[in-house]
Amino acid sequence: MGDVHIPDGFLDPVTAALCYAIALVFTAVAIYKSRARLKPEVITLASLLAAAIFAAQMLNWPIPGGTSLHMVGGALVGILLGPWLGELVIAVVLLVQCLVFGDGGITALGANILNMGIIDVLIGYAFFKALARPGETNRARVTLGAFLGGWLGITLAGVACGLEIGYSPAFPFGVAITVPVMGLWHIGLGVIEGIITALVVDYMARKLPSLVMSLELPAQGV
Amino acid sequence: MGLSMQSFITEHKRALMLIAVLLIVSPLFGVIGADIVGYHEPLDVAAEVLGLNETGLWSGLLPDYSVPGLPENWAGLSLGYIISGIVGVAIILALGLILRGLVAKG
Repeated sequence: MGDVHIPDGFLDPVTAALCYAIALVFTAVAIYKSRARLKPEVITLASLLAAAIFAAQMLNWPIPGGTSLHMVGGALVGILLGPWLGELVIAVVLLVQCLVFGDGGITALGANILNMGIIDVLIGYAFFKALARPGETNRARVTLGAFLGGWLGITLAGVACGLEIGYSPAFPFGVAITVPVMGLWHIGLGVIEGIITALVVDYMARKLPSLVMSLELPAQGV
Repeated sequence: MGLSMQSFITEHKRALMLIAVLLIVSPLFGVIGADIVGYHEPLDVAAEVLGLNETGLWSGLLPDYSVPGLPENWAGLSLGYIISGIVGVAIILALGLILRGLVAKG
């Protein structure tokens, strides 16, 4: 849980362009790496997940004082689909949010993809893989891996967001303020993202294990 | 060949039901709850406090998940929020079905 959708006007042109470059290169590699896996069933699964993440992000939980948080879900899709396809799913969600609903600035789309589609997805995937071995059947390892991935994925996405806006001369506070604020905010609220990620992955691993692709079950062809 | 809309719906009933439930309850948080606590996007609040003029280059076709023309009360905003959610989900699923059709064709 957190909110890292950066609007227009927060990033200076250099930071925005650099983030766009990273997002574009990563997305190009992700498309290349995912080509062989893009079978009709996988595309259906990925688009249903993208739609579910989009819908889940609409549940904005308001907090008195004028802030709110919502599920981000990057770590979750990273665990379910792997890092490459996971990044593409989040990038599509962010693109639709930005273009259709003005949620997340068009100049900040690269940074938003970097934070939620790359960092959150990769960190979530990495922590899950560190605990859940291929074919893992130990429920504690699966659940803990998903929790840590969801929690630390959103925390580092928050830190990255703090760095990007803190380094931009357009934003009046520097990284000495933005990074601790964004980091502490997300390390606290990120626990909820971790719990939701763990609950969903635990459920899927027991009921629909073939859909948890990071478990690398024999039939999956990850 | 592609997959007909009907078989797509029946085959993925549970997932689509979950998405529908999320969309139907979403105004409880995004509109009604937000109104109660005076919610604005955190980074938008930061911009306002700091006096940054948000250079919104593009506010979208349905800005902030609202449908232009609907009444600006909770009912209108909630309806707009749900319609926005349906539009977003439909666009994403349509993109997926198009890609699926292209891949199935080879």
